[in-house]
Amino acid sequence: MAGANREAEERNAEAADRTSAVVLTSKLRKEFESLVAVDDVDLKIRRGLLYGMIGPNGSGKTTLIKMLVGLLRPTGGKALILGERIPIAENISRIGYMPQEMAIYTDLTVHENLELFAELYSMSKESFETREKGLLKIIDLADRRDSLVSHLSGGMRHRASLACALIHDPEVVFLDEPTVGVDPELRVGFWKYFADLRARGKTVIMTTHYMDEALRCDVVGMMRLGRLIGEGAPKDLMERTATTDLESAFMTMARKVDA
Amino acid sequence: MNWRRILAVAKKNLQSLRHDRRTVGFLVAMPLFMIAIFGYTFGGSVENIKVYVVNLDQTPQDESVAAAIIADLQTRNTLKIVRSFGPEDAATDPVELGREKVESAEIWATIFFNETFTQDAMRVVSGETGLPAFIRVIEDGTNPNIAQAIGNEMLSAVRSVLGVSSFATPIAISPELVYGEDARFIDFFAPGVMGLAAMMVTFMLAIMSFVHERSAGTLERLLSTPVTEGEIVAGSALAFGLVGLGQSIVIILTAVLLFDIQIIGSPVLVLLVIFLFGVGNQGLAFLLSSLAKTEFQAVQFLPIILFPSLLLAGVFWPLEAVPELLRPVSSVVPLTYCVDALRSVMIRGWGAGDILFDLGILLLFAAVMLGLSAYSLRKRR
Ligand SMILES: Nc1ncnc2c1ncn2[C@@H]1O[C@H](COP(=O)(O)OP(=O)(O)OP(=O)(O)O)[C@@H](O)[C@H]1O
Ligand SMILES: [Mg+2]
Repeated sequence: MAGANREAEERNAEAADRTSAVVLTSKLRKEFESLVAVDDVDLKIRRGLLYGMIGPNGSGKTTLIKMLVGLLRPTGGKALILGERIPIAENISRIGYMPQEMAIYTDLTVHENLELFAELYSMSKESFETREKGLLKIIDLADRRDSLVSHLSGGMRHRASLACALIHDPEVVFLDEPTVGVDPELRVGFWKYFADLRARGKTVIMTTHYMDEALRCDVVGMMRLGRLIGEGAPKDLMERTATTDLESAFMTMARKVDA
Repeated sequence: MNWRRILAVAKKNLQSLRHDRRTVGFLVAMPLFMIAIFGYTFGGSVENIKVYVVNLDQTPQDESVAAAIIADLQTRNTLKIVRSFGPEDAATDPVELGREKVESAEIWATIFFNETFTQDAMRVVSGETGLPAFIRVIEDGTNPNIAQAIGNEMLSAVRSVLGVSSFATPIAISPELVYGEDARFIDFFAPGVMGLAAMMVTFMLAIMSFVHERSAGTLERLLSTPVTEGEIVAGSALAFGLVGLGQSIVIILTAVLLFDIQIIGSPVLVLLVIFLFGVGNQGLAFLLSSLAKTEFQAVQFLPIILFPSLLLAGVFWPLEAVPELLRPVSSVVPLTYCVDALRSVMIRGWGAGDILFDLGILLLFAAVMLGLSAYSLRKRR
């Protein structure tokens, strides 16, 4: 009897999670032959959060995101995005993804790239035009709309790639190092925009190597050797480890895990 | 399958080409270049072949069949009669002289009518004998093109002099042409060149584009959107099929305007064959692109694909000239069926119903390649 109750409770809790959590993973795992890139990660990311993922090179951030957006098949565990098992199909237009390696068509113009993604998301012509105008302003490429991407600078390409991930106004957006190579002034603009997205109830999940950016996130997840070694608001993380910056907090957490 | 997304993928592929002037230049120039080379090398009928004519026919000039044939030969310039001998030269043994000149390669042939040529021919007409009158052609056979041109020329002269063969032909060997009465070498080549050019262009452009998509991560990124594997494959097939089609139109126009190529059957059917074949090739390119890490590696696939097609698909010589041992290879090279279909339509004037087998094979090729492409993409995830 008690067992059945507990089961029901668990089911209820899971249902509640499903509605509030846009990303929910349990023991999510990815192995590349003998290498464990993502090691039993349990994540719960609530709607409307700015979630930052930090961790050294090769700690599994990109692999984790790729599994969530359906580009890599997990070797273990499970994950729900917007309540749907990965790889998601039904809700796929509700998410956006900006890969780490730019991945936009260099032999097309900025406009043609945006138009391609808009078509793939079945956007109407009018909503595409207004979205495009707004995004071009934010990434400051309005005057380069008809330039070939191969003629843009590295940072500009990154900005164009970000716009492609956001063109369809997704509810949840995964951004893999969106601010790499972006100049400080524009980065300020980006963060304003991220804050604006959050204000509109969107969920932003991003990776970064800049600690000042991580500090601005609502929740920071710390990845190391494929494992999520710590998670929480930046302030809490520092308090818990009795440190004054996130780098030290990360080191302390890492030592604790090793011990 | 969502048409809008398929068209978006196709459009993207075509837009990429538009921005790449060099590729477009390659697209247009390559077939022109190929046709020009093949056209000027093998094109225009062979002309001014140097020959000696030895006419020892005793029948008076105005009744002599031999004289009439020679006169007919002179109305065209396929053969250039550099020296003529009449009955009065009989003592100098002109036939032997002609033979020597052929042997020393100064002339291509010596055409010899004997003393009783007209009489012999008349006896065949009156039914006295079945034995034909002989025109001896002592010729240099090193170049089959020329040998064939001489043979055809003699035959048409004989025919025009005697009218429709009411008599048994006076030439012992008479090649009987069913198709391609006026076909020249270039007519035989043109369909082969078209198939070959379509193959090279669709394969090259597609594999370059796919390798680039894979290494840049754009292919993967597309898969994070609602577009499905099948739609990506279908969109690319549409784009590269159209590229092959556009290129073929350029080839056909050049071939018809510059080299007067004959297209007896339906040009639409010709284009359909090319489209199907282009779709299959881009599918093959898609599959191979997963094995290549760089564009440079991708280019290395071209000779592997190109050589069997070039040598064994009947582009330059008929399939019958392919060694028995290699015939099975010919029959698995898709270009074989493309070229066969194109030739049937362009030279024989056949319709779709007559080339169902070729069409079926090309359709199968395209379907299998597209299916495998979509499957390989799905498996990747
Ligand atoms: N396709 C693959 N095949 C084999 N190993 C892989 C593959 N992709 C990633 N890895 C390995 O998985 C581990 C995690 O890589 P991942 O790209 O997720 O790291 P990351 O945290 O995103 O690093 P960075 O900060 O450099 O972007 C690395 O050791 C990497 O070598
Ligand atoms: Mg990464």
